Amino acid sequence: MRRARTPQHPLGWYQDPDGRGVDARLHLLDRQMLDRADVPISTVDDIEIDGVEVGEAVDHERPPVVAAILVGAAVLPRVFGGSMPRSRWDRIEWRHVRRLGTVVRIDAAADDLDATWLERWIRDRVIARIPGGRHAPE
Amino acid sequence: MKKLFAVALGILTAIGGFVDIGDLVTNAVVGSRFGMGLAWVVLIGIVGICVYADMSGRVAAVSGRATFEVIRERLGPRAGLANLTASFLINLLTLTAEIGGIALALQLAAGVGPGMWIPVALFAVWIVVWRTKFSIMENVAGLLGLCLIVFVVALFLLNPDWGTLATQAVQPWTETSGHPLSYWYFAVALFGAAMTPYEVFFFSSGAVEEGWTAKDLSTERANVFIGFPLGGILSIAIAACASVVLLPKAIEVTSLSQIVLPVAEAGGQLALAFAIVGILAATFGAALETTLSSGYTLAQFFGWSWGKFRRPAQAARFHLSMIICLLIGGGILATGVDPVAVTEISVVFSAVALPLTYFPILVVANDPEYMGDAVNGRLRNGLAVVFLAVILVAAVAAIPLLIITGMGS
Repeated sequence: MRRARTPQHPLGWYQDPDGRGVDARLHLLDRQMLDRADVPISTVDDIEIDGVEVGEAVDHERPPVVAAILVGAAVLPRVFGGSMPRSRWDRIEWRHVRRLGTVVRIDAAADDLDATWLERWIRDRVIARIPGGRHAPE
Repeated sequence: MKKLFAVALGILTAIGGFVDIGDLVTNAVVGSRFGMGLAWVVLIGIVGICVYADMSGRVAAVSGRATFEVIRERLGPRAGLANLTASFLINLLTLTAEIGGIALALQLAAGVGPGMWIPVALFAVWIVVWRTKFSIMENVAGLLGLCLIVFVVALFLLNPDWGTLATQAVQPWTETSGHPLSYWYFAVALFGAAMTPYEVFFFSSGAVEEGWTAKDLSTERANVFIGFPLGGILSIAIAACASVVLLPKAIEVTSLSQIVLPVAEAGGQLALAFAIVGILAATFGAALETTLSSGYTLAQFFGWSWGKFRRPAQAARFHLSMIICLLIGGGILATGVDPVAVTEISVVFSAVALPLTYFPILVVANDPEYMGDAVNGRLRNGLAVVFLAVILVAAVAAIPLLIITGMGS
């Protein structure tokens, strides 16, 4: 994949509403996501970008946008290469993202997101069935 | 007053929690072979762990981010996963050694073979991880660990020739026996034991567990810069006891009973009882810390919900991974492998893994996005870079020394 080496747009094009420059690799990928109640959801394992096709020129009138954050098994292609079929993607829609900082704030409850199914599955099948699993430590 | 109490308690638990099975075994082995000839390594190790524990504690307190979140974010998934794999496996080895240490301590107390105690130790560690509040767990294990002060008392009771001990310490090379490189092999092992990476994972995650903020930095500094060096004195006392009693008789340390022999000789049954309680508390505390560290590293890398301040059901993958790690550790011990041998290997591999943990922390401690005004100053960075160099040398030398000296024999 070819990577842009020099910025081809005015600086404002790369900035978020706060005026801060955002780089998907530096400021988004591999950051921790927290939900409304500060419960960790997942790390940003990959992102889905809309409005651009591999090998085709980018239409500068309609710049590509981040459509969703991918979590879970989506990290595997980034480690081992290859690709993950779309049916296996666990997506968190970009509209849920409230703030980017040292963590990515998600405006939803972790348990309401489809992407966190594995945590719920392990909770319901294993951890909650062990005595004391639903009680706070004393 | 309340604040003063909190600081004092923190320092006491830092002292009692400093020593683990790695420090116990390695210091006794080194004392029995080289006398005080490697005391300088312990001193360097203490300064090193202070510098880096302070840094990881500050990163956690100021930014709320624990070590492995930072490692993943800085190294990306590929290098991060390699780092996680190495750190996790070595932590698992340390966990195994600590569980074995509990079993050996119980064996000393009750006489029943260590194999019988392993399931008991595993269950006891799990139930504390599952049900006990973080602060209670930390304080009880740390305060009981203070019983190890009996090693300092025993050293005075033995009435050693202090001049000889001092000479050994300042002329380190005179006592060498066996393979000429084995001195350096044990230097690396001792360094790995003093700076074990899990202490950093645990210290930074503990800061998040206890909800530390920038206001708690003075407590954090007191814990690290007073508690750790005083805890290090216990390490040196263990080595000194071994060098006074075991070195002249050429007794080789192969089990826990030799480690406590000087204490028994100096103070009889009562001192021995204190030593056993101290060792039990130290290994149990360290077993809890390594178990939690295995959960912390995985959860922070993958972004799972974690922490003992949550109910287990609200950190399901975190708790499941710790249960699996305990079972793996128990499984390794069930093969009948000698826990002391596991310990000796784990400290050497700890030395190998040190740069993996310490380098990313140094980078983030300099990042204003995370740290705001609390980024490292020149003194901290200077010390940190010097220690990073020392850590790199130890890490590179560890495996070749292990092979050449045949584990120091």
